[in-house]
Amino acid sequence: MKKYSILIIVIAMGFMFVNFNIEEINIPQEEVKTDSAIYYVPADVLQIIDKSCYGCHNSESKNIKGKGKLKFDKMSELKLYKQVGKLTDIADVVKSGDMPNKKFKKNYPDRMPTDEEQERLISWATDLAKQLTPPE
Amino acid sequence: MNKKRLTWLIIILLIVIIQFIPNRKPEVILSNENDLIYNNKLPESVENILRTSCYDCHSNESKYPWYSYIAPVSWLVVRDIKVGREELNFSEWESQSKMDKAKNIDKIIDEVSEGNMPMPIYTLMHSEAKLSEDARQQFADWADNYAESLFE
Repeated sequence: MKKYSILIIVIAMGFMFVNFNIEEINIPQEEVKTDSAIYYVPADVLQIIDKSCYGCHNSESKNIKGKGKLKFDKMSELKLYKQVGKLTDIADVVKSGDMPNKKFKKNYPDRMPTDEEQERLISWATDLAKQLTPPE
Repeated sequence: MNKKRLTWLIIILLIVIIQFIPNRKPEVILSNENDLIYNNKLPESVENILRTSCYDCHSNESKYPWYSYIAPVSWLVVRDIKVGREELNFSEWESQSKMDKAKNIDKIIDEVSEGNMPMPIYTLMHSEAKLSEDARQQFADWADNYAESLFE
């Protein structure tokens, strides 16, 4: 009986980490490399992006500067190196504390990512960038 | 001594005094084994653009003009070169990962295409560094091709 309950817990936990597909963020998978391929973003990462980044960084955004530098919903249309470049920069600017910027911090303090959320975003972006980059 | 003369005297005195404020220039190193131009066969036009429009601030090969020895202008020059090298240093180009190269090429293309680089304050004193629309396009195309070739 005990064995089964452990198994159920493990399966349930597995479901928590199941990646789900969302149209907004479609980054082609390395193996496929077609524009239609969709990269699966982990649900917890998606939640952070949605809360703290997507408001400015989408193609419909009124924030011209933010939109100009990064549009999550158009990421899959970029060349592979640009996707890697954007992901690397995401990790950089979150690490340095430049993003979310001061204005966002002031206007939406409740939507600032926690330290753990920042760590999660950085490791996701770095790992995915590595995965998409051919060996040196 | 009248008021006007006194004012001038003070201004001249101040200018003389500020010359003694330490303001260390970033070191010039002409031979850099990780340099972008040194390690890659670039089209001549691209190499020229890099050398005349970028390398003064974004490499270890900065050429200091005469006014860079006179405060307070020297402070601006030193600051721009320091920040420029920190952001992007072509002399150390090959020492970065492919991921960082991708990031930097993406930024370079944006900055040059949008006309933010070279900076207006730089081209004011270096008119030869000004880039035409054609030159910007040519440079961006090269950068795009170069980065793509790294990801094949």
